[in-house]
Amino acid sequence: MSKKNDYDPSEIKRAMGMTAKNRVSNTVIYVVLVIMSIVWLIPFFCIVFQSFRCESTWMAGYVFPTKWGLDNYINLAKTDFWKWYTNTFIIAVVVAVFQTIIVLCMSYTLSRFRFKMRKGLMKFMLVLGLFPGMLTMIILYRVLKDLNMTQANAVPGLILVYIASSGMGYYVSKGFFDTVPKTLDEAARIDGATRAQVLWKIILPMAKPIVIYTVLTAFMGPWGDFVFARYISMNTSAGMNVAVGLQSWLSLDQINNRYTMFCAGGVIVAIPVTILFLCLQKYYVEGVTGGAVKG
Amino acid sequence: MKKVLAIVLALVMVLGLAACGTPANNNTPANNTADDKPLAGTYKIKVWAAENNQELTKKQIEAFNQSNDMGIVIEATVEAVSEADAGTNMITDIEAGPDIYWFAQDQFARLVNAGALDKLGEGASKTVSEANDPGVVAAGSINGQLYAYPATSDNGYFMYYDKSVIPETDIDSLEKLIADCEAAKKYFAFEAQTSAWYIASWFFGTGCHSEWEMDNDGKYTGVKDDFNSANGLIAAKGLYKLVSSPFHLSSSKGAEFESGAAIVVTGTWDYEVVQKILGDNMGVADLPSFEVDGKQYHLGSYNGCKLVGVKPQTDAKRGAALHQLAQYLTDYDRQMERFNELAWGPANLKAQSDDKVKANPGLAALLQQNAYSVPQGQIHGSWWDIAKVIGDDVKESGGTDEGLKAALQKYQDKIDALFSMSDEEKNAWTVIGDINGDGWSIDLPMEEVSAGVWKTTQKYDLKAGNQFKCRQGKSWDVSIGNGGDNYVVEKDGSFTIVLTLNGDSGTITLE
Amino acid sequence: MANYSDLEYLRLSKGQKFAYKLGHFFLSIPRAIGRLFVNIGKGIGKGAKGIGRSLADIGSTFRNGDGITKGSFVIMGLGNMARGQILRGILFLLFEIVFIFYMVTTGGYWLSMLPSLGHQGPAQEYNPIYDTYVTTYHDNSFKILLYGVLTIFFIIAFIYTWRANLKQAKITQEMREKGIRLKSGKDDLRSLVDEGFYKTLLALPLTGIIIFTVLPIVFMILVAFTNYDGTHDGYFNSLFNWVGLENFNTMLSWEGGGNVYSATFGEVLTWTLIWAFFATFSNYFLGMFVAMMINKTGRTFKKGWRTILVLTIAIPQFISLLYVSKMFAKNGIVNGFLMNMGWIETALPFFEKAAWARITVILINIWIGIPYLMLIVTGILMNIPADLYESAKIDGASGWKQFTKITLPYMLFITGPYLVTQFTGNMNNFNVIFLLTGGGPTNPAASGASGSVGYTDLLVTWLFKITTGAESKYYLASVVGILIFVVVAVITLVVYNLLPSVKNEEDFQ
Repeated sequence: MSKKNDYDPSEIKRAMGMTAKNRVSNTVIYVVLVIMSIVWLIPFFCIVFQSFRCESTWMAGYVFPTKWGLDNYINLAKTDFWKWYTNTFIIAVVVAVFQTIIVLCMSYTLSRFRFKMRKGLMKFMLVLGLFPGMLTMIILYRVLKDLNMTQANAVPGLILVYIASSGMGYYVSKGFFDTVPKTLDEAARIDGATRAQVLWKIILPMAKPIVIYTVLTAFMGPWGDFVFARYISMNTSAGMNVAVGLQSWLSLDQINNRYTMFCAGGVIVAIPVTILFLCLQKYYVEGVTGGAVKG
Repeated sequence: MKKVLAIVLALVMVLGLAACGTPANNNTPANNTADDKPLAGTYKIKVWAAENNQELTKKQIEAFNQSNDMGIVIEATVEAVSEADAGTNMITDIEAGPDIYWFAQDQFARLVNAGALDKLGEGASKTVSEANDPGVVAAGSINGQLYAYPATSDNGYFMYYDKSVIPETDIDSLEKLIADCEAAKKYFAFEAQTSAWYIASWFFGTGCHSEWEMDNDGKYTGVKDDFNSANGLIAAKGLYKLVSSPFHLSSSKGAEFESGAAIVVTGTWDYEVVQKILGDNMGVADLPSFEVDGKQYHLGSYNGCKLVGVKPQTDAKRGAALHQLAQYLTDYDRQMERFNELAWGPANLKAQSDDKVKANPGLAALLQQNAYSVPQGQIHGSWWDIAKVIGDDVKESGGTDEGLKAALQKYQDKIDALFSMSDEEKNAWTVIGDINGDGWSIDLPMEEVSAGVWKTTQKYDLKAGNQFKCRQGKSWDVSIGNGGDNYVVEKDGSFTIVLTLNGDSGTITLE
Repeated sequence: MANYSDLEYLRLSKGQKFAYKLGHFFLSIPRAIGRLFVNIGKGIGKGAKGIGRSLADIGSTFRNGDGITKGSFVIMGLGNMARGQILRGILFLLFEIVFIFYMVTTGGYWLSMLPSLGHQGPAQEYNPIYDTYVTTYHDNSFKILLYGVLTIFFIIAFIYTWRANLKQAKITQEMREKGIRLKSGKDDLRSLVDEGFYKTLLALPLTGIIIFTVLPIVFMILVAFTNYDGTHDGYFNSLFNWVGLENFNTMLSWEGGGNVYSATFGEVLTWTLIWAFFATFSNYFLGMFVAMMINKTGRTFKKGWRTILVLTIAIPQFISLLYVSKMFAKNGIVNGFLMNMGWIETALPFFEKAAWARITVILINIWIGIPYLMLIVTGILMNIPADLYESAKIDGASGWKQFTKITLPYMLFITGPYLVTQFTGNMNNFNVIFLLTGGGPTNPAASGASGSVGYTDLLVTWLFKITTGAESKYYLASVVGILIFVVVAVITLVVYNLLPSVKNEEDFQ
């Protein structure tokens, strides 16, 4: 792994004594960043405010509610929301586990082994990845239907599809493995370790950032899928994920009664993802920078 | 060791296939042999109804189980799918679709074309057509054959306004309304730029027509449309007055009253919302008139409806039981019940004349507007996309006569293009018949292999007794079979069909 | 364009250097495209040669083989079993049995129906007893196509395995003759966790990819050559047929100045490329800029800024973008605010006019994209060797100079491939466009094309509209999908071939 350092150009400058010019430019930077933060946070807070609005349930043209309360959150329990939430959570957890395993298998193999079909395989997958995924929606639906994995059974169906195609997303973690020196493997091989042992005992413990990065991205994906998941669940409430379920509240016959609940549901969806993301941000950064850019 | 991989792969595929083999079997009713009750049995079905109609539909199905004397017991799962989405969702997967479903009228032709609507039996057709509004019955029929049960007749639009902004004296005049909105810096919400359904209002107001013709299979064969005419130009001028105003908002949501709108043109479904927002300031009225060259034109509208459809069934008994239920769900009492609980305007003639129905303010405004409305018949699916841009084109035209005429001409060209063919297509010969299992609906392509000799591009499996004809330009103007009759296949086999032309006549041979 | 030597190049001014490099980049594009085709041609040639060699090898195996090897031509795995490799032999034989069983029971049917896609569509009959219509369904074009393709996959797998079986028979025969010990089943299994470990690791992921990615893509490509749509769904209303290249003709023909499809395609493609360019580079440079600004502020604040920006990643886009699109509506809060402040008289047409809508989506996309870029750039900035800056400092280089001489070149080198994936990713950025504008405002000129196409529609949202539109023209969606693939593939391959950091994969190790 390349050497990391916490070198910060600004600190040297400070050590050398701040010039007036620097002070001006720092002020400008702070002002810009404050304005940016406001712009970035406005929609976020607006959505949160909407979720606490109790005086009406439709889309309103103003930001601050006249009557605050938790009605929208409480009312969620009267709908299938928690069923959708559980569905999504199950999907996200299972997919996170299996996708991580598959991605690690693929990326480690393609980074470490040199076999006959390797280059061809990588090119082939690169080409496959260039087809718009939207196109295969219809046919995946029919295949899953024949396996009885649509509508009320959409959860296993979605899990299957997400996992099955996850091998394609090996680039980032392959890039990461490429930065792990090969000499480590070779030393262990000389000591008599099999390839499997090398992976388990030596590489995996080192790959913590990329494992966490993969788990995080795999876990976040299913929360926002509202196109494919909608197709697979075919309006059966029991098989919806939270994105599809919430989207169904925006249809013409429901939006007037459900819009504020939609916002409340959205806030609840955002909570676990936000917390995870904030806690694991460090690894995310290490993961992408270690892998994505070199993929 | 590559083969191990290959074998694993193959095994997985086989397992997959083994699991795929048989199509889902239909739930056949439990047998009940009592002859006097031929339909008796328990039926598991799926129903789609809009979310607000979901509970009521469940209740009504329960009531049907209690009250019917045919021994039918329905076990229904009712899923929430709005009438507007039902068509698209149904066509995505008819097999997984519901047995009985509510849908909005504009999807009717699509559903018939997709094979998702079962024809009504003769008895049911008669009862239903007599009981309901003829406009709605026409909306559910193709050339006299009913395909769905009329359920409501309230898919029309009228005007809601904020009395605190708009003086009641101005509500008859579009020009005054626009001026009031501009003065108050409030929006006039009329979906005149993004929805053909609302745009048509202007053209019907000046006496234009847009009527589509269909064959018996629900395929469009032509259109009578005069939007591009002197009357159409007047309508476009009126439309320009609205869309060129900076305070025109192309929307039809009742909730816009909270976002700065003073007028919203929408339907009964937004009544509750508007009432909650405006309270005593809510006003309802029919659409206003606009003035062009000193003459007043009252805006027209589409008058549409909701229908209940039954999915085609492979089991006659089950089909008949489903039709019994669908008929029950749309009869007088059920329509009244829906009016009382959901304020859905009935299609049933007797229900329409009920005093309570007449007294509903939303429906009353709609009824007033009905004097200027056009029943929404069968409309080509592409028309919605083509006509919806009239609003944009009119706005861009700058309001000059030439600009507006050009906008309408563009519209007409696109309509014409729906039915026009290139010269090559007009001259090409095709085979049509019952040879491909499609019941005379698909033209099989032929190519000219030498001057006057046309051959099909591939071999077809023909059976003795199959009939077909060759025709030119996919129309029946020029067609050749065995002379003027259909060509009849004499023996089974796989053949290329060859047409040898000889002046105006020709002979068909099989190779 | 002149080719300068290194010395000449160094003498150029900054502007000239840039122009020189840029010129060379574009000049090399045709060559790269040319190379692409040459490579494709070479690949095909190699494949053909390989098949020829295989056939020759099969012939020689048969001629030189003993009875057992010859027997392996019919009974797979015989060679292995007879020579003591029971496990391999049984796997081969099992595969053959499964294959034959499958072909006899169902595979043969699907394959035989594939050329016609079915003979008999559904029929309706009136049943006077129940006063109702009864529908009988027959062939299912969709299933025929799907399982036909699957059967062909299976046959290819079988031929491949059969060939492997022959090779094995030949090798075992030769090794026996030379008296070399053959690997036992135990050895085979052990190899799966050691030198053959990659097979174990790849087995599951590749199976998934073949069934859930390759098969659907092959199927959808084939759909482009049929008339599969809402009214020819292959089962419920009528069968669908093969129509040859007709759909491509519809989409691309230019006869008589172009039809509505080809014109729409051209327009949507142009906008897709413009959008991808601006969406990628605006995010890239602004993201870099923001990351560097954040780095300049004190340690304690860094985390705070980042957290604020990252919040937008965490909220699902279908909620945040929907709200943002409402904010920019004609009567949304942005216009409301500007009007209340007295800055504008009438509402700004953010989503109403073509140019406005296009700029608005690009700007809003910055709002979405910057947080990601900021995170990535922060990481890379930490990786830039500190001594580079130190020596620059000693040379008295200004902050701007450090940026252009060190930071930017380093970033561009490292993130080259990332930029390509971002570009193609933006070309297919469904969520942003679909949720913000739904493709609108409508493009009047394109209203005859399937689906209602708007000025901000990308090819991929158009594809979605065709699929779910009034006529559900799946075959046209498929054509659009193939065309998207062609465009994206050409861009990717060309640029990848030009990038220095991809060529030398091993450099990073």
